[in-house]
Amino acid sequence: MWSISDKGEREFTGGKEDWAVVAHIAENCSGFKPDDEDEMVADEAVSCYNCRYRRWTRKSFACCIKKM
Amino acid sequence: MKILVSIDDTDTMKMDGIEVRGTGELAGLIKQAIEEYGWGSCEPITRHQLLIHPGIPYTSHNSSMCFEAEIEQAFLEPLIDFASDFLANESTPDSDPGLCVAVTDRISRPGWLIAFGYMAKNYVLNKQEAYDLAEKLGIHLSEHGGTGQGVIGALAGAGLRLSGNDGRFKGKLKIKAENSIIKAGDICSQVKVDMVKCLEEGIVLQYDDMVVLGDHIKPVWLYGKSVLLVHAINEDTVTQAHWQTYSKRQLKDF
Repeated sequence: MWSISDKGEREFTGGKEDWAVVAHIAENCSGFKPDDEDEMVADEAVSCYNCRYRRWTRKSFACCIKKM
Repeated sequence: MKILVSIDDTDTMKMDGIEVRGTGELAGLIKQAIEEYGWGSCEPITRHQLLIHPGIPYTSHNSSMCFEAEIEQAFLEPLIDFASDFLANESTPDSDPGLCVAVTDRISRPGWLIAFGYMAKNYVLNKQEAYDLAEKLGIHLSEHGGTGQGVIGALAGAGLRLSGNDGRFKGKLKIKAENSIIKAGDICSQVKVDMVKCLEEGIVLQYDDMVVLGDHIKPVWLYGKSVLLVHAINEDTVTQAHWQTYSKRQLKDF
């Protein structure tokens, strides 16, 4: 589900359209915090895709929670 | 005269317990100041998505924010001075903010600015390219901290806004409607929406066409207009609603 990128970031392997999986991950993540409304893209309120600690990458996103 | 004000790269990744204002919020505060100082009136802010690439040092999503304003010429320099100081003081310390202010009637080759905007959606550009183009076109472009990389996105944001065909509006609209169903024409009467359209079927809704409102009502910038996008649904026999507004997921590519 996660890979480590060249920059040492934890990158989600499911891409940018795996809506149900990232909603499930975020629901079970204590670090989830909603991003600005303008940056939300998932219809599920709690989703890694809507998290202020996700950083979009070309194919997916990196989770920055552990880095901070 | 009409101007475009565009900013980029004003924030960094938000950390627990520290409130960091995003680029959209700072754009909103500049817009608010322009109106409070009596310098002119402003149009809503649009968000423009730029290229996601490892070679670009963006914070989390690499988007810029732009708005149009109508001001008196005498206020142009005070406005640029204010926005410059504001970005220098209010951007996150580790960010690389950039400011672009373009007088639309004075842009010698608008197509070049628009092309730069679309280039920034597809290629990695550098600061010198942005400064060179701004100088050629007579556009104010300045950096206000860090590496100043935000000038690329700021110039691109102005180009994309000028194109009339890129981005979604900041914020979401509040529309009064009984049971969340309303005529398309009444949407345009209530809020800043010029047109309600279904892109899939190429249809511009008529005044009496009934629309189901979702919980995320956000127009996009198409054809130089504020366009509320809808998709077809099975017609409700009671309300005769045949259209529903786009969800966040459907809007993500704008």
